[in-house]
Amino acid sequence: MALTALICDDSLLARNQLKKSLPSGFDANILTAGNGVEALTILRTREVGLVFLDLTMPELDGVGVLEAIKAEAMDCLVIVVSADIQPEMQKRVMELGALAFVQKPASADKLADVMHKYGLI
Amino acid sequence: MTELHFTDVQRDCLQELVNVAMGQASDKLARYLGTFVHLQVPSIALVEAALLSQHFSSRYQQQSATLVSLGFFGDQGLRGETIMLYQLANAGVIAQLLGYSDDAVSEAEMLTDISSVLTTTFLSGLAEQLENSFSYAAPRILSSRDQYFADKLAYTAEQWQLALQVDIRYQLTDYSFNCDMILLIPGEAVLRLRQTLDNILADF
Repeated sequence: MALTALICDDSLLARNQLKKSLPSGFDANILTAGNGVEALTILRTREVGLVFLDLTMPELDGVGVLEAIKAEAMDCLVIVVSADIQPEMQKRVMELGALAFVQKPASADKLADVMHKYGLI
Repeated sequence: MTELHFTDVQRDCLQELVNVAMGQASDKLARYLGTFVHLQVPSIALVEAALLSQHFSSRYQQQSATLVSLGFFGDQGLRGETIMLYQLANAGVIAQLLGYSDDAVSEAEMLTDISSVLTTTFLSGLAEQLENSFSYAAPRILSSRDQYFADKLAYTAEQWQLALQVDIRYQLTDYSFNCDMILLIPGEAVLRLRQTLDNILADF
């Protein structure tokens, strides 16, 4: 059965950019969420293996989503894709259990590198 | 007359480009101030330049503000001016943090320096995404501790047609630091910007 991946970003452009930049060898059902609250609703009801997570979002931000994933011990991998590139923020999301940090706008090459490194493609 | 309207999709696109450029500017600012900046979703609004001063005079009611302006020039008619508006409540604290002495001259110098860091980083980030490149005029202070800053803003704004108003709220770790950034661009640059957004959108 193919993996289910969730793209969580408040921007339609960013969601589309990311969807288009995913490596061609990545076989997954893609779901999308427009903020952290929507993402958690999906994560609590569906089996999602991989999350592409933006940080700066209304309602609930990416850090809030990571905290919930950790607190509820959800079994999913998270790649943070964010414009907030401050070293302290990168450190914080890694400490909260993110697999990797990718700077926005996410290039296809960088995504492929990261996903290859963690055996996702 | 230039039609200033942006569609929802164009707006979302511009918002995301602003978001990415803001992230780069905040990273620079955080390094400059040696602190962490809590980023919020920047709220952007496109308004007629003529209506700007009205909006800001009510928002900064009973407060003095400092305005720092920076002109930028890009390819294909994309040019304009950014204005940073600072409320001065926290200027003293930041001045101390950065080692400026506590007087009006140093405060002006500090706000010019911060504006330069923020706007050139922001504009370079935006230009890169628009596949353009900007050159900059030297930043200049339009008014400092001036009750009549709304008049000066109105005077500056009337030379342009569209204002892209970006609310920036920088919450630093130990204190808050609010400023507003306004991008003023002429009508032909609006058309250019819209076309560039459409080109970006066509790719996705």
